[in-house]
Amino acid sequence: MNVIEVEHLSRRFGDFKAVDDVSFTVGAGEIFGYLGANGAGKSTTIRMLCGLLQPSGGHARVAGHDVAIAPERVKAGIGYMSQRFSLYLDLTVRANLEFFAAAYGGHGATLRAAIDAMLERMQLTSVRDAVTGALPGGVQQRVALASAVMHRPRIVFLDEPTAGVDPLQRRSFWQLIRELAAQGTTVFVTTHYMDEAENCARIGIMVDGRLVALDTPEALKREHAPGRVLDVRGPGLAQALDGLRGEPGVLDVSRFGSGATVRVDPTRVEAQAVARWLRARGVEPLEMEESAPTLDDVFLALTASAQRGED
Amino acid sequence: MVASTFGRSGGRILAIAGKEVLHIRRDPRTLYLALAMPVVMLVLFGFGISFDVDHLELAVVDQDGTWASRELVRQFTASKEFVVSTESPSPEQALRDARRGHVVAVLVLPKGFARAVSSGGAQVQLLVDGADGNTATQVLAKAQALIQVASPRLAGEGAPLPAPPVEVRIRTLFNPGGRSALFVVPGLAAYLLAIVAVLMTALTVAREWERGSMEQLFATPVGRMEIVVGKLLPYLCIGLAQVLLVLTAGAWVFSVPIRGSLPVLGLGALLFLIGMLGQGLLISVVTRNQVVATQVATLTSMLPSMLLSGFIFPISNLPAPLRLLSTLIPARYFVSVLRGVLLRGNGLEVLWPQLGALALFALLILAAAMARFQRRLD
Repeated sequence: MNVIEVEHLSRRFGDFKAVDDVSFTVGAGEIFGYLGANGAGKSTTIRMLCGLLQPSGGHARVAGHDVAIAPERVKAGIGYMSQRFSLYLDLTVRANLEFFAAAYGGHGATLRAAIDAMLERMQLTSVRDAVTGALPGGVQQRVALASAVMHRPRIVFLDEPTAGVDPLQRRSFWQLIRELAAQGTTVFVTTHYMDEAENCARIGIMVDGRLVALDTPEALKREHAPGRVLDVRGPGLAQALDGLRGEPGVLDVSRFGSGATVRVDPTRVEAQAVARWLRARGVEPLEMEESAPTLDDVFLALTASAQRGED
Repeated sequence: MVASTFGRSGGRILAIAGKEVLHIRRDPRTLYLALAMPVVMLVLFGFGISFDVDHLELAVVDQDGTWASRELVRQFTASKEFVVSTESPSPEQALRDARRGHVVAVLVLPKGFARAVSSGGAQVQLLVDGADGNTATQVLAKAQALIQVASPRLAGEGAPLPAPPVEVRIRTLFNPGGRSALFVVPGLAAYLLAIVAVLMTALTVAREWERGSMEQLFATPVGRMEIVVGKLLPYLCIGLAQVLLVLTAGAWVFSVPIRGSLPVLGLGALLFLIGMLGQGLLISVVTRNQVVATQVATLTSMLPSMLLSGFIFPISNLPAPLRLLSTLIPARYFVSVLRGVLLRGNGLEVLWPQLGALALFALLILAAAMARFQRRLD
């Protein structure tokens, strides 16, 4: 069953198309990742889906209601964690949870029990009486997540929940997200950390307001970044790379600082052959590391092709 | 269904109001601003703003040097309203003092004054420093009254003057002592309430915009009416406490009486406060920024409630365009209500138009604020 259905959704700000004809669906209990660079239209999409922003075109049904027609019904059925953790930093952790739970209509002994359970689940019991603003970013982020799901919504929208949080905290945060999904909550999450996106069941990639790809991480890699990835480093690399681009079996060459990533089709060319080819052109000593493509490679390939398409 | 909808709405309003109380408790500066500052300012201003003028510095040029001329000068100083600060031989010398601001008036008694008194038609010259208009007016009034009283005494050496055909007996009603405090306290109360109420709301709502928590609030099912009522409720309570405090301080420190209807006063204060809170709300909804909101709030509450409310300048003395503008200033009506109830002993039968104006302002400004306060981000 789909809990989010988006058809030809668009949003214009003046002449600028922030979101341009986007369509997708998200199933119940799914972790759906929405990827894109800053300004690609991720937050605008989320705000429309949360009933905060009126679409300029198209339709979106969230939790069974049209966001343009019945935004209030949508709001009652979802949780939302906005890009800046908009907690009340001068209040205690407990007070924040109490407030947001009450804002969704919770009250009395049930509410208090639910808060205690949530504090426990988010590992916040020890800091429940601390002033939120005095806590580290990773903890604040867990408080924000707890506030967004206090009322047990069917769907929770997380807009860049891990921005500015250290890797260790990010990993434990994703553990919480997976637990939420395992209990049946649909999670719609935006991020620009590609390593995090591997946690998602499916991923949509936004480039300049358009949804350019949508699939599971594995399928995206197969389709948009097939082959093997060779990270190469060495002197005189820049000149050598230009010639490499046209060689058979070489799918993509992108430069990064002093090094480069070469993606090859392993059925047509061996890594060792690439190494020999580079050494023959004076790249010595050569450092090479072979790996499987990541979502980073997918993202780069898609961004590059989208930009070529515009030119 | 209706009851449960209302109950849920009530719960959400209480949630917002309770959160606001927590904010205030976390940062008690709001409370100092709201409760301590008005009382401190009331006491300072109440003692400080005084339109009573005493001990006016007078330069005397007595060119006559007779009993009559000395007697007139004595009359001037007897009441302590004037003190002779210099005695100059010539008007020119005295004028130099006046120009330096050492004296506010120069009294010139010309040669032959005593003779002229006994024959009738004596003249003295009073040169008044008009640079300070309020003082000059009072100097003139006081000097005229003094000379009127002194004339028969000076002439009394000869034949008594016939009684004037019309005699005016003046009695000042409601403030017989002419005490500035009675005049100042009601105006000051309105002024302070206006500033604090507008500023407090403008800040609290603008803060939510600035920190991004407004977006989070909009994503919840809390309605905008619930946000507004919940946010304003605690400040309404603080404002009413402030009214009580200021009136108590006024009664206690300055013996300001409460002669009229207390319920009318309470109703006036309530309507005025709602209007001021609505004004603060409108400002914060439009500016969405604490710094700008503070400036706009201070400007739009302080200046009109000081200058156009009748607090300092009588409204009847304002130029016509400003007088027209003052009809839009709620402080004007609240000052009337305060003076009416406290000093003149008025009730609803006299003050209903003012109460009506306050209610209308509150209604319009809240409607305008609500219209601008949309729960969408675009």
